[in-house]
Amino acid sequence: MRQIIEGYPKEPRYLLATLQDIQEHHKYLSVESMKMVAEYLGVPESRVFSVATFYKALSLVPQGKKVIKVCNGTACHLRGAPKLVEALEKELGIKNGETTEDGFFTIQTVNCVGACAMAPVVMVNDRVYGKVTISQIPEIIEEERKDAV
Amino acid sequence: MVEVTIDGQKIEVEKGTTALEAARSLGIEIPTLCYHEGLPPDGNCRLCQVEVTDARGRTNLVISCMYPIKGPVEIRTDTERVRDARAFVVKLLLARSPHSPVLQHLAEEYGVEPLDARFVPEDETDLCIRCGRCVRACATLGNNCIEFVWRGWEKEVNTPFKEPSNSCIGCGACAQVCPTGAIRVTEDETTRTIWDRTFDLVACERCGVRFATPEQLKVVSPEFKPVDGRVLCPRCRKLEEARAVASGLGAQEEN
Ligand code: SF4
Ligand code: SF4
Ligand code: FES
Ligand code: FES
Repeated sequence: MRQIIEGYPKEPRYLLATLQDIQEHHKYLSVESMKMVAEYLGVPESRVFSVATFYKALSLVPQGKKVIKVCNGTACHLRGAPKLVEALEKELGIKNGETTEDGFFTIQTVNCVGACAMAPVVMVNDRVYGKVTISQIPEIIEEERKDAV
Repeated sequence: MVEVTIDGQKIEVEKGTTALEAARSLGIEIPTLCYHEGLPPDGNCRLCQVEVTDARGRTNLVISCMYPIKGPVEIRTDTERVRDARAFVVKLLLARSPHSPVLQHLAEEYGVEPLDARFVPEDETDLCIRCGRCVRACATLGNNCIEFVWRGWEKEVNTPFKEPSNSCIGCGACAQVCPTGAIRVTEDETTRTIWDRTFDLVACERCGVRFATPEQLKVVSPEFKPVDGRVLCPRCRKLEEARAVASGLGAQEEN
Protein backbone atom coordinates (compact mmCIF):
# COMPACT_ATOMS: atom_id res chain seq x y z
CA MET A 1 0.00 0.00 0.00
CA ARG A 2 2.67 2.44 1.08
CA GLN A 3 4.59 1.62 -2.08
CA ILE A 4 1.67 2.51 -4.29
CA ILE A 5 1.05 5.77 -2.48
CA GLU A 6 4.65 6.85 -2.36
CA GLY A 7 4.98 6.26 -6.07
CA TYR A 8 3.17 9.56 -6.54
CA PRO A 9 4.50 13.08 -6.03
CA LYS A 10 3.29 14.63 -2.78
CA GLU A 11 0.74 16.88 -4.42
CA PRO A 12 -3.01 17.11 -3.87
CA ARG A 13 -3.74 16.81 -7.58
CA TYR A 14 -2.66 13.16 -7.55
CA LEU A 15 -5.55 12.25 -5.27
CA LEU A 16 -7.75 10.54 -7.84
CA ALA A 17 -4.86 8.75 -9.55
CA THR A 18 -3.65 7.38 -6.22
CA LEU A 19 -7.09 6.16 -5.22
CA GLN A 20 -7.58 4.49 -8.62
CA ASP A 21 -4.24 2.77 -8.29
CA ILE A 22 -5.10 1.40 -4.85
CA GLN A 23 -8.49 0.31 -6.12
CA GLU A 24 -6.85 -1.53 -8.99
CA HIS A 25 -4.41 -3.44 -6.79
CA HIS A 26 -6.50 -4.05 -3.68
CA LYS A 27 -9.96 -4.09 -5.26
CA TYR A 28 -11.23 -1.60 -2.70
CA LEU A 29 -10.27 1.39 -0.55
CA SER A 30 -9.97 0.67 3.15
CA VAL A 31 -10.38 3.48 5.66
CA GLU A 32 -6.70 3.07 6.62
CA SER A 33 -5.59 3.41 3.01
CA MET A 34 -7.66 6.59 2.57
CA LYS A 35 -6.18 8.05 5.75
CA MET A 36 -2.70 7.24 4.51
CA VAL A 37 -3.39 8.96 1.19
CA ALA A 38 -4.75 12.04 2.98
CA GLU A 39 -1.67 12.33 5.11
CA TYR A 40 0.79 11.70 2.32
CA LEU A 41 -0.73 14.08 -0.23
CA GLY A 42 -1.65 16.69 2.37
CA VAL A 43 -5.34 16.57 1.43
CA PRO A 44 -8.03 16.83 4.14
CA GLU A 45 -9.55 13.44 5.00
CA SER A 46 -12.97 14.90 4.26
CA ARG A 47 -11.88 15.59 0.68
CA VAL A 48 -10.47 12.08 0.21
CA PHE A 49 -13.70 10.53 1.46
CA SER A 50 -15.72 12.83 -0.77
CA VAL A 51 -13.80 11.78 -3.88
CA ALA A 52 -13.77 8.11 -2.85
CA THR A 53 -17.55 8.07 -2.53
CA PHE A 54 -18.20 10.10 -5.68
CA TYR A 55 -16.73 7.84 -8.36
CA LYS A 56 -18.43 4.56 -9.16
CA ALA A 57 -15.09 3.07 -10.15
CA LEU A 58 -13.92 3.38 -6.55
CA SER A 59 -15.29 1.04 -3.94
CA LEU A 60 -15.25 1.12 -0.15
CA VAL A 61 -15.98 -2.58 0.20
CA PRO A 62 -13.82 -5.40 -1.15
CA GLN A 63 -14.62 -6.33 -4.75
CA GLY A 64 -14.57 -9.82 -6.20
CA LYS A 65 -11.90 -10.94 -8.66
CA LYS A 66 -14.62 -10.71 -11.29
CA VAL A 67 -16.87 -7.68 -11.17
CA ILE A 68 -20.08 -8.34 -13.05
CA LYS A 69 -21.56 -5.11 -14.31
CA VAL A 70 -25.09 -5.32 -15.56
CA CYS A 71 -25.94 -2.34 -17.72
CA ASN A 72 -29.16 -0.76 -16.58
CA GLY A 73 -29.21 2.10 -19.08
CA THR A 74 -32.47 2.83 -20.84
CA ALA A 75 -32.02 0.35 -23.70
CA CYS A 76 -30.80 -2.46 -21.45
CA HIS A 77 -33.42 -1.74 -18.84
CA LEU A 78 -36.16 -2.07 -21.45
CA ARG A 79 -34.63 -5.28 -22.74
CA GLY A 80 -34.72 -6.99 -19.40
CA ALA A 81 -31.64 -5.94 -17.38
CA PRO A 82 -33.56 -6.12 -14.07
CA LYS A 83 -34.40 -9.76 -14.80
CA LEU A 84 -30.71 -10.47 -15.45
CA VAL A 85 -29.80 -8.95 -12.11
CA GLU A 86 -32.36 -11.17 -10.40
CA ALA A 87 -30.99 -14.23 -12.17
CA LEU A 88 -27.42 -13.35 -11.17
CA GLU A 89 -28.44 -12.75 -7.58
CA LYS A 90 -30.09 -16.16 -7.49
CA GLU A 91 -27.19 -17.91 -9.18
CA LEU A 92 -24.56 -16.42 -6.87
CA GLY A 93 -26.60 -16.15 -3.69
CA ILE A 94 -25.73 -12.47 -3.15
CA LYS A 95 -27.50 -9.17 -3.67
CA ASN A 96 -26.64 -6.47 -6.17
CA GLY A 97 -23.62 -4.58 -4.82
CA GLU A 98 -22.34 -7.53 -2.78
CA THR A 99 -19.38 -9.89 -3.17
CA THR A 100 -19.50 -13.67 -2.90
CA GLU A 101 -17.88 -15.19 0.17
CA ASP A 102 -15.17 -16.89 -1.87
CA GLY A 103 -14.22 -13.44 -3.21
CA PHE A 104 -14.81 -14.41 -6.84
CA PHE A 105 -17.78 -12.32 -7.86
CA THR A 106 -19.33 -8.92 -7.27
CA ILE A 107 -22.59 -7.82 -8.88
CA GLN A 108 -23.10 -4.20 -9.84
CA THR A 109 -25.51 -2.25 -11.99
CA VAL A 110 -24.13 0.57 -14.11
CA ASN A 111 -25.50 3.17 -16.49
CA CYS A 112 -25.33 2.88 -20.27
CA VAL A 113 -21.99 1.39 -21.27
CA GLY A 114 -22.38 2.60 -24.84
CA ALA A 115 -23.26 -0.65 -26.56
CA CYS A 116 -27.02 -0.25 -26.75
CA ALA A 117 -27.26 -2.17 -30.01
CA MET A 118 -26.23 -5.25 -28.03
CA ALA A 119 -28.69 -4.68 -25.21
CA PRO A 120 -28.97 -6.12 -22.68
CA VAL A 121 -25.27 -5.90 -21.94
CA VAL A 122 -23.30 -7.52 -19.13
CA MET A 123 -19.63 -6.82 -18.54
CA VAL A 124 -17.39 -9.09 -16.53
CA ASN A 125 -14.24 -7.12 -15.78
CA ASP A 126 -13.32 -6.03 -19.30
CA ARG A 127 -15.18 -8.73 -21.20
CA VAL A 128 -18.45 -7.69 -22.85
CA TYR A 129 -21.43 -10.02 -23.25
CA GLY A 130 -24.20 -8.78 -25.56
CA LYS A 131 -27.84 -9.78 -26.01
CA VAL A 132 -27.64 -11.76 -22.82
CA THR A 133 -30.52 -14.03 -21.89
CA ILE A 134 -31.36 -15.42 -18.49
CA SER A 135 -30.59 -18.94 -19.65
CA GLN A 136 -27.01 -17.93 -20.49
CA ILE A 137 -26.26 -16.75 -16.96
CA PRO A 138 -25.10 -20.11 -15.53
CA GLU A 139 -22.76 -20.63 -18.49
CA ILE A 140 -21.23 -17.21 -18.16
CA ILE A 141 -20.64 -17.70 -14.45
CA GLU A 142 -19.15 -21.14 -15.05
CA GLU A 143 -16.76 -19.81 -17.68
CA GLU A 144 -15.68 -16.81 -15.64
CA ARG A 145 -15.16 -18.94 -12.54
CA LYS A 146 -12.78 -21.23 -14.45
CA ASP A 147 -10.94 -18.16 -15.65
CA ALA A 148 -10.67 -16.76 -12.14
CA VAL A 149 -9.22 -19.90 -10.57
CA MET B 1 -18.00 52.84 -11.04
CA VAL B 2 -20.99 51.88 -13.17
CA GLU B 3 -24.56 53.04 -12.99
CA VAL B 4 -27.18 50.34 -12.99
CA THR B 5 -30.93 50.34 -12.66
CA ILE B 6 -32.53 47.89 -10.26
CA ASP B 7 -36.33 47.70 -10.27
CA GLY B 8 -36.42 51.26 -11.57
CA GLN B 9 -33.99 52.68 -8.99
CA LYS B 10 -30.62 53.95 -10.14
CA ILE B 11 -27.46 53.19 -8.20
CA GLU B 12 -23.71 53.56 -8.79
CA VAL B 13 -21.68 50.53 -7.87
CA GLU B 14 -18.08 49.43 -7.99
CA LYS B 15 -17.32 47.23 -11.01
CA GLY B 16 -17.52 43.59 -9.96
CA THR B 17 -20.21 44.14 -7.33
CA THR B 18 -22.69 41.31 -7.64
CA ALA B 19 -26.28 41.96 -8.65
CA LEU B 20 -27.32 40.58 -5.28
CA GLU B 21 -25.10 42.96 -3.30
CA ALA B 22 -26.23 45.91 -5.37
CA ALA B 23 -29.90 45.08 -4.87
CA ARG B 24 -29.45 44.56 -1.15
CA SER B 25 -27.69 47.87 -0.79
CA LEU B 26 -30.91 49.44 -2.11
CA GLY B 27 -32.89 47.43 0.39
CA ILE B 28 -34.34 45.20 -2.32
CA GLU B 29 -34.78 41.71 -0.96
CA ILE B 30 -33.78 38.74 -3.13
CA PRO B 31 -34.30 35.32 -1.58
CA THR B 32 -31.13 33.23 -1.15
CA LEU B 33 -30.28 29.87 0.34
CA CYS B 34 -26.72 28.91 -0.53
CA TYR B 35 -25.38 32.47 -0.34
CA HIS B 36 -23.90 33.81 2.90
CA GLU B 37 -22.09 37.17 3.26
CA GLY B 38 -19.16 35.65 5.09
CA LEU B 39 -18.52 32.81 2.65
CA PRO B 40 -17.32 32.44 -0.92
CA PRO B 41 -20.42 32.27 -3.16
CA ASP B 42 -21.14 28.96 -4.84
CA GLY B 43 -24.30 29.61 -6.84
CA ASN B 44 -25.71 26.14 -6.39
CA CYS B 45 -29.29 26.68 -5.19
CA ARG B 46 -30.34 29.03 -8.02
CA LEU B 47 -33.02 30.65 -5.90
CA CYS B 48 -31.59 34.14 -6.25
CA GLN B 49 -32.26 34.42 -9.98
CA VAL B 50 -33.04 37.86 -11.46
CA GLU B 51 -33.47 39.27 -14.95
CA VAL B 52 -30.67 41.32 -16.45
CA THR B 53 -30.93 43.40 -19.62
CA ASP B 54 -27.57 44.40 -21.05
CA ALA B 55 -26.68 47.48 -23.11
CA ARG B 56 -27.63 45.68 -26.33
CA GLY B 57 -31.08 44.99 -25.02
CA ARG B 58 -30.66 41.27 -24.44
CA THR B 59 -32.44 39.95 -21.39
CA ASN B 60 -31.32 36.89 -19.47
CA LEU B 61 -31.98 35.16 -16.20
CA VAL B 62 -28.84 35.17 -14.07
CA ILE B 63 -27.81 33.89 -10.65
CA SER B 64 -27.58 37.20 -8.79
CA CYS B 65 -25.16 36.04 -6.09
CA MET B 66 -22.64 35.08 -8.80
CA TYR B 67 -23.34 37.83 -11.36
CA PRO B 68 -20.66 40.54 -11.31
CA ILE B 69 -21.84 43.89 -12.65
CA LYS B 70 -19.46 44.99 -15.40
CA GLY B 71 -21.48 47.54 -17.35
CA PRO B 72 -24.62 49.67 -17.19
CA VAL B 73 -27.27 46.96 -17.03
CA GLU B 74 -30.86 46.94 -15.96
CA ILE B 75 -31.81 44.42 -13.31
CA ARG B 76 -35.33 43.32 -12.46
CA THR B 77 -35.83 41.22 -9.37
CA ASP B 78 -39.54 40.56 -9.39
CA THR B 79 -40.84 39.83 -12.91
CA GLU B 80 -43.10 36.95 -13.76
CA ARG B 81 -40.22 35.09 -15.38
CA VAL B 82 -38.13 35.54 -12.23
CA ARG B 83 -40.93 34.34 -10.00
CA ASP B 84 -41.53 31.30 -12.23
CA ALA B 85 -37.85 30.40 -12.19
CA ARG B 86 -37.72 30.68 -8.40
CA ALA B 87 -40.93 28.71 -8.01
CA PHE B 88 -39.39 25.91 -10.05
CA VAL B 89 -36.31 25.87 -7.83
CA VAL B 90 -38.46 25.76 -4.71
CA LYS B 91 -40.50 22.93 -6.16
CA LEU B 92 -37.42 20.80 -6.76
CA LEU B 93 -35.93 21.54 -3.35
CA LEU B 94 -39.22 20.85 -1.63
CA ALA B 95 -39.44 17.48 -3.34
CA ARG B 96 -36.15 16.55 -1.68
CA SER B 97 -36.82 18.00 1.77
CA PRO B 98 -40.61 18.19 2.07
CA HIS B 99 -40.57 18.82 5.81
CA SER B 100 -38.19 21.78 5.80
CA PRO B 101 -39.97 24.81 7.31
CA VAL B 102 -37.76 27.19 5.31
CA LEU B 103 -38.82 25.56 2.06
CA GLN B 104 -42.45 25.31 3.07
CA HIS B 105 -42.38 29.02 3.73
CA LEU B 106 -40.84 29.75 0.33
CA ALA B 107 -43.35 27.44 -1.32
CA GLU B 108 -46.15 29.47 0.16
CA GLU B 109 -44.57 32.70 -0.99
CA TYR B 110 -44.06 31.46 -4.55
CA GLY B 111 -47.36 29.64 -4.79
CA VAL B 112 -45.77 26.20 -5.10
CA GLU B 113 -48.16 23.36 -4.40
CA PRO B 114 -46.80 20.99 -1.79
CA LEU B 115 -45.97 17.58 -3.17
CA ASP B 116 -48.82 15.08 -3.32
CA ALA B 117 -48.75 13.30 0.05
CA ARG B 118 -48.31 9.98 -1.78
CA PHE B 119 -44.85 11.07 -2.89
CA VAL B 120 -43.63 12.25 0.48
CA PRO B 121 -41.95 9.42 2.35
CA GLU B 122 -43.26 9.50 5.88
CA ASP B 123 -39.92 8.97 7.50
CA GLU B 124 -38.24 11.64 5.36
CA THR B 125 -36.73 13.79 8.06
CA ASP B 126 -33.83 15.18 6.05
CA LEU B 127 -33.81 18.98 6.21
CA CYS B 128 -30.59 19.41 4.27
CA ILE B 129 -30.88 21.10 0.88
CA ARG B 130 -27.24 20.41 -0.10
CA CYS B 131 -26.40 24.09 -0.31
CA GLY B 132 -22.89 23.52 1.01
CA ARG B 133 -22.79 26.51 3.33
CA CYS B 134 -21.63 24.30 6.19
CA VAL B 135 -18.86 22.79 4.05
CA ARG B 136 -17.67 26.24 2.98
CA ALA B 137 -17.84 27.58 6.53
CA CYS B 138 -15.73 24.77 7.92
CA ALA B 139 -13.26 25.03 5.03
CA THR B 140 -13.03 28.81 5.44
CA LEU B 141 -12.07 28.25 9.05
CA GLY B 142 -9.38 25.89 7.79
CA ASN B 143 -10.74 22.81 9.52
CA ASN B 144 -12.15 20.93 6.52
CA CYS B 145 -13.99 18.38 8.63
CA ILE B 146 -17.07 17.96 6.50
CA GLU B 147 -17.67 17.44 2.80
CA PHE B 148 -20.30 16.24 0.39
CA VAL B 149 -20.11 12.48 0.16
CA TRP B 150 -21.77 9.92 -2.13
CA ARG B 151 -23.75 11.31 -5.03
CA GLY B 152 -27.13 11.46 -6.69
CA TRP B 153 -29.99 10.82 -4.33
CA GLU B 154 -27.61 9.59 -1.60
CA LYS B 155 -25.49 12.73 -1.64
CA GLU B 156 -25.16 14.21 1.83
CA VAL B 157 -22.81 16.17 4.04
CA ASN B 158 -20.75 14.05 6.38
CA THR B 159 -17.47 13.71 8.24
CA PRO B 160 -14.58 11.67 6.78
CA PHE B 161 -15.45 7.96 6.79
CA LYS B 162 -18.59 8.90 8.74
CA GLU B 163 -16.45 8.88 11.86
CA PRO B 164 -16.17 11.74 14.35
CA SER B 165 -13.63 14.05 12.73
CA ASN B 166 -10.45 14.67 14.67
CA SER B 167 -9.89 18.04 13.08
CA CYS B 168 -13.30 19.30 14.31
CA ILE B 169 -13.02 21.95 17.02
CA GLY B 170 -16.71 21.95 17.90
CA CYS B 171 -17.11 25.61 16.97
CA GLY B 172 -20.60 25.10 15.60
CA ALA B 173 -19.98 27.45 12.64
CA CYS B 174 -21.38 24.83 10.27
CA ALA B 175 -24.65 24.69 12.19
CA GLN B 176 -24.78 28.48 12.51
CA VAL B 177 -24.67 29.09 8.76
CA CYS B 178 -27.04 26.25 7.85
CA PRO B 179 -30.20 27.84 6.44
CA THR B 180 -32.43 24.90 7.29
CA GLY B 181 -31.32 23.80 10.74
CA ALA B 182 -30.21 20.45 9.36
CA ILE B 183 -27.11 20.17 11.55
CA ARG B 184 -27.77 19.05 15.10
CA VAL B 185 -25.88 20.71 17.93
CA THR B 186 -26.83 19.80 21.46
CA GLU B 187 -25.49 21.39 24.60
CA ASP B 188 -25.89 20.57 28.25
CA GLU B 189 -24.32 22.32 31.27
CA THR B 190 -20.77 21.32 30.48
CA THR B 191 -20.59 19.80 27.01
CA ARG B 192 -21.47 20.42 23.39
CA THR B 193 -22.12 17.62 20.90
CA ILE B 194 -21.91 18.05 17.14
CA TRP B 195 -21.23 15.59 14.30
CA ASP B 196 -21.12 12.74 16.83
CA ARG B 197 -18.32 14.29 18.85
CA THR B 198 -18.74 15.61 22.36
CA PHE B 199 -16.62 18.54 23.51
CA ASP B 200 -16.08 20.04 26.96
CA LEU B 201 -17.14 23.63 27.39
CA VAL B 202 -14.86 26.16 29.05
CA ALA B 203 -16.33 28.69 31.48
CA CYS B 204 -15.88 32.45 31.20
CA GLU B 205 -13.66 33.59 34.08
CA ARG B 206 -15.83 36.63 34.68
CA CYS B 207 -19.47 35.51 34.46
CA GLY B 208 -19.07 31.74 34.58
CA VAL B 209 -21.03 31.04 31.41
CA ARG B 210 -19.67 28.05 29.53
CA PHE B 211 -19.17 29.36 26.02
CA ALA B 212 -16.46 27.62 23.99
CA THR B 213 -14.62 24.34 23.58
CA PRO B 214 -10.94 24.05 24.61
CA GLU B 215 -10.18 23.15 20.99
CA GLN B 216 -11.73 26.45 19.88
CA LEU B 217 -9.66 28.40 22.38
CA LYS B 218 -6.52 26.61 21.26
CA VAL B 219 -6.79 27.90 17.69
CA VAL B 220 -6.46 31.37 19.23
CA SER B 221 -8.83 33.26 17.05
CA PRO B 222 -8.58 36.90 18.15
CA GLU B 223 -12.03 36.95 19.71
CA PHE B 224 -10.92 34.37 22.23
CA LYS B 225 -7.52 35.79 23.24
CA PRO B 226 -7.39 36.09 27.03
CA VAL B 227 -7.94 39.61 28.40
CA ASP B 228 -5.47 40.36 31.19
CA GLY B 229 -4.78 36.65 31.42
CA ARG B 230 -8.43 35.79 31.81
CA VAL B 231 -10.54 33.72 29.43
CA LEU B 232 -13.68 35.72 28.75
CA CYS B 233 -16.88 35.02 26.88
CA PRO B 234 -17.70 37.42 24.03
CA ARG B 235 -20.13 39.41 26.17
CA CYS B 236 -17.75 39.96 29.08
CA ARG B 237 -14.96 40.72 26.63
CA LYS B 238 -16.99 43.58 25.19
CA LEU B 239 -17.81 44.89 28.65
CA GLU B 240 -14.16 44.78 29.68
CA GLU B 241 -13.06 46.47 26.49
CA ALA B 242 -15.66 49.20 26.86
CA ARG B 243 -14.51 49.71 30.43
CA ALA B 244 -10.87 49.97 29.38
CA VAL B 245 -11.74 52.54 26.75
CA ALA B 246 -13.88 54.51 29.17
CA SER B 247 -11.21 54.63 31.88
CA GLY B 248 -8.59 55.49 29.26
CA LEU B 249 -10.61 58.56 28.42
CA GLY B 250 -10.70 59.52 32.07
CA ALA B 251 -14.41 58.93 32.20
CA GLN B 252 -16.22 57.84 35.32
CA GLU B 253 -16.11 54.06 35.61
CA GLU B 254 -19.57 52.61 35.70
CA ASN B 255 -20.34 49.43 37.54
S1 SF4 C 1 -18.12 22.40 14.44
FE1 SF4 C 1 -16.54 21.12 13.49
S2 SF4 C 1 -17.43 20.60 11.52
FE2 SF4 C 1 -18.57 22.37 12.25
S3 SF4 C 1 -17.50 24.17 11.41
FE3 SF4 C 1 -16.66 23.81 13.44
S4 SF4 C 1 -14.87 22.54 13.05
FE4 SF4 C 1 -16.13 22.40 11.19
S1 SF4 D 1 -26.40 20.87 6.33
FE1 SF4 D 1 -27.33 22.89 6.08
S2 SF4 D 1 -25.63 24.19 5.37
FE2 SF4 D 1 -25.00 22.09 5.07
S3 SF4 D 1 -25.56 21.62 2.95
FE3 SF4 D 1 -27.27 20.95 4.24
S4 SF4 D 1 -28.66 22.69 4.30
FE4 SF4 D 1 -26.71 23.48 3.54
S1 FES E 1 -28.29 1.09 -22.21
FE1 FES E 1 -26.99 -0.59 -21.91
S2 FES E 1 -25.44 -0.17 -23.32
FE2 FES E 1 -26.67 1.57 -23.54
S1 FES F 1 -28.22 32.13 -3.35
FE1 FES F 1 -27.54 32.48 -5.34
S2 FES F 1 -27.50 30.49 -6.15
FE2 FES F 1 -27.99 30.12 -4.07
